[in-house]
Amino acid sequence: MSDVATLPPVHSAAPDDNARLPRKSPWRLLSRPFALLPASFLLLVLVCAVGAPWIAPHDPFTPAIRHRLEAPGATYWLGTDDLGRDMLSRLIFGARTALLASFESVGIGLAAGVSLGLLAGYVGGWLDRVAMRLADVMQSIPAVLLALALIGVLGKGLGNAMLAVGLIFAVSFLRITRAVVLAEREQLYVDAARVLGLRPAAIMLRQILPNVSGPLIVQASISLGTALLIEAMLSFLGVGADSTQVSWGSMLETARQFQSEQPLLPVVPGLAITLTVLSFNLLGDTLRDALLPGGASQTRTAVRLPAGTAATAAADADAPTPADTLLELRQLSVRAAVGGGEAELLSQVSLHLRRGEVLGLVGESGCGKSMTANAILGLLPRGAQIAGGSVRLGGTELVGLPEEALRHIRGRRIGMVFQDPNAALSPVHTIGTQLCDIVRAHSKLNHAQALARAVELLDLVGVPDPARRLQDYPHQFSGGMAQRVVIAGALACEPELLIADEPTTALDVTIQAQVLDLLADLRQRLGMSVLLITHDLGVVADLCDRVAVMYAGQIVETGSVQETLTAPRHPYTAALLDAMPRGRADARLSTIAGRVPPAWAWPHGCRFHPRCAHAVAACAQQPVALEDGVRCIRADELRNARTPIDIREVAA
Amino acid sequence: MTEKPLLSVDRLSVDFKLKSGLFGSRTLSAVRDVSFDIERGKTFGLVGESGSGKSTIGRAVLRLVQASAGRIEFDGHDVTAFGRATPLAFRRDVQVVFQDPMSSLNPRQTVGTTLGQAIDRHRPMPAQRREKEIAKLVDSVGLAAYQAQRLPHELSGGQRQRVAIARALAVQPRLIVCDEPVSALDVSTQAQVINLLVDLQREFGLSYLFIAHNLDVVRHVSHRIGVLYLGRLVEVGPAEQVHEAPRHPYTRMLMASTLVADPQVQALRTQERRQQIRAELPSPLAPPPGCAFHTRCAWAEARCRGEMPQLAAAGGGVEAGCLRLSAVAATPQGQLPVRGDAVVRQIEEVNA
Repeated sequence: MSDVATLPPVHSAAPDDNARLPRKSPWRLLSRPFALLPASFLLLVLVCAVGAPWIAPHDPFTPAIRHRLEAPGATYWLGTDDLGRDMLSRLIFGARTALLASFESVGIGLAAGVSLGLLAGYVGGWLDRVAMRLADVMQSIPAVLLALALIGVLGKGLGNAMLAVGLIFAVSFLRITRAVVLAEREQLYVDAARVLGLRPAAIMLRQILPNVSGPLIVQASISLGTALLIEAMLSFLGVGADSTQVSWGSMLETARQFQSEQPLLPVVPGLAITLTVLSFNLLGDTLRDALLPGGASQTRTAVRLPAGTAATAAADADAPTPADTLLELRQLSVRAAVGGGEAELLSQVSLHLRRGEVLGLVGESGCGKSMTANAILGLLPRGAQIAGGSVRLGGTELVGLPEEALRHIRGRRIGMVFQDPNAALSPVHTIGTQLCDIVRAHSKLNHAQALARAVELLDLVGVPDPARRLQDYPHQFSGGMAQRVVIAGALACEPELLIADEPTTALDVTIQAQVLDLLADLRQRLGMSVLLITHDLGVVADLCDRVAVMYAGQIVETGSVQETLTAPRHPYTAALLDAMPRGRADARLSTIAGRVPPAWAWPHGCRFHPRCAHAVAACAQQPVALEDGVRCIRADELRNARTPIDIREVAA
Repeated sequence: MTEKPLLSVDRLSVDFKLKSGLFGSRTLSAVRDVSFDIERGKTFGLVGESGSGKSTIGRAVLRLVQASAGRIEFDGHDVTAFGRATPLAFRRDVQVVFQDPMSSLNPRQTVGTTLGQAIDRHRPMPAQRREKEIAKLVDSVGLAAYQAQRLPHELSGGQRQRVAIARALAVQPRLIVCDEPVSALDVSTQAQVINLLVDLQREFGLSYLFIAHNLDVVRHVSHRIGVLYLGRLVEVGPAEQVHEAPRHPYTRMLMASTLVADPQVQALRTQERRQQIRAELPSPLAPPPGCAFHTRCAWAEARCRGEMPQLAAAGGGVEAGCLRLSAVAATPQGQLPVRGDAVVRQIEEVNA
């Protein structure tokens, strides 16, 4: 429900998907220098390997003793070796051996590892146990040792050596595949596939395997480099490539003997090996960033802003605020760079919160509710900034305060509670440690005093047996109790204002009720003000004194809960109310057509008009001002009509 | 009704073996002795808190978990007796819509591929006809044709849930298990999905097992409602009866906890809610003896922890499992009895 998520237009993009974002394509990677360089180098190696007989200027095998150990020149660009063979040609043919060996071992590794990993992960049971013990054994054998052993049994030859390497690689592919399969198997889409009656093979290959491909491609790329190194090493030792093949490793071995006579000899194969392995590794890193979640590739795709979308809103009349106002937002605007342009995430949001009051901020996801809270706290996501307006907390202007001063205000004067209590608590520390840290960060209490304060706080939020529970970890708390602990943390420094962002959305109805009662109780006992962000008008009806309804970055209606919920004046508020099931069967629920447009495509005029059942031509003409707590040019007309249904009939 | 119900669940129990420590294992009884029927073209709503076993019942019907005891009969076939392999015909008849539409769709498959796979498995047809069929499905759940080419992350939450519904419809099922299908959605989107489900039921004569934790939502779509507490049904009956005049104290608690956007109605619910006993849901691993709800019940007396109440007729076609039904019925909304000290002490002893 986080409105922050709508800032980068990556997923939740575009009105009606017309301005659809391009899909991730592997070719997109080539636009980066760190991907382009290794990729083009590897392409060159590949071309050499495939086209060796045609590209190589000389025969790499026939000796020509006359030209022994020549320096680079016009005929032999990279010189010749001890038998007078052209180094460049040998280098080109060496690429063939190197890539063949690498691809063979990685191919074997992939085939064996992935198939066994899929089975072990999906089928589980004894198969899994056998596969994993086998993997443990394989992983304790050095690759070179196994290669030598296999050569001893199967006979000399690069193929046999790389078979051994492939078997060792299979273990890492098996582990990766199994780990991903174990995670994916628990996903609901796998359950759905089973319910559809898809065959296990189809589920494994068509449903699960594509999700393993990312990590596998990365691992394969890095393994290719490792395989190449092992091939070179084996050939250097004389057990890899035979005399019918040219290998960079055996070239190095020759170079070792004649280095004193021709110092350039080891440089050529050495560079080839280093550059190729480096390219494989760099490519692997780039692929990891691009394919795996959390990689550096989360760049924002540019979306061109149509000119003039950031329509300036009509100036709102500033109503005077009551004397006991704690928090006051005046014409607060937040803008963010989106792709090539700028989008207005919040447009002149004005609201006030009195001491001891609970204000509900409601609206659908993507309307700017959480963004408003973040702007108050000075915690805007990167790229977004306050473009105008003011935020005053009890006489202090927060806009423009240095970060250090804001940090003092957060926690000390403003407490914050988020939707998911388990995300707000660190799983590896006890509740006691976490609460003490919060207490001590904002006060001069010593450890013992902080502990005592933590017990007091837990008691305040109704956690039974608080002294004992300080030693517990977050996972030992139920969802409702965990949220109480988070609230306790927010109350640590007796803040004047508590901002609660969907504090009960993740909880069961009965637990939700308890947390709401706790908030009501705290407000009464501590005289705290609460800004409650929610999409549930039921929560508003239960806890709030006043409500502000947000749509598309603007406040569209404010008023007392009693009046707003029983006689909504803005069509959006009315539509939200109508959409709630109220326990009448067979009555169709009213819905709101379409969805909230993204910030760079706020409609012109009244931003709600494309979805509004009462919209007339005038609604699209110009921005509507917030007047008398409602932002609708037809508010008075609609109020005179008895019920919204009547109007719809008139309109039809 | 003389016709046999489409789905008949008879004294279903589901146990899970949990590992504890290095060697030991404990048994978690997720569902115990649950019985209910679903008529053709009707919706049975299951409500309860998390940990009440409502999803487990759905998964047992879908054969994603094994029943430990009891029978599940679908259209005359004993589902629990299928053995390891589930007949394809059953897979075609019974489908599912899960809560989280993001994880219930394969992130790497387009909407069209997902639907095509379902069609291929059960109703193989030439590619051209299949394309038409996919277009029809996409249209029937209110998506635009071009959205068949979309990947799940390119859709909004409500649209994803429509795709999940389309996938279930693709095989022309008779029963759809809806496991919290609207809990993760915004109010306006929730209304759209609920309307869609109701429309599809009318159009195709579908039956639903509708699992949710919000009684108002369940009431809106269901013909009958069952209320689960710690794996047992505590009340079951016609939807309007269970919703309008809850017989069981737990149903009353759920009703009082369900929020409504009407300040007057909500004030009454809040009033009743604030008089309730503040106790957490006991662990399903160690449910309280007797009536499992007695630790949180305002009407509980000493015998409630000694005696396990059975479901019994409570008027209006409702069955409820409570020893204090008449006392509960005599208490008007918003005025819960205050438990005597003696009862509180006894209950605390049990809990200690």
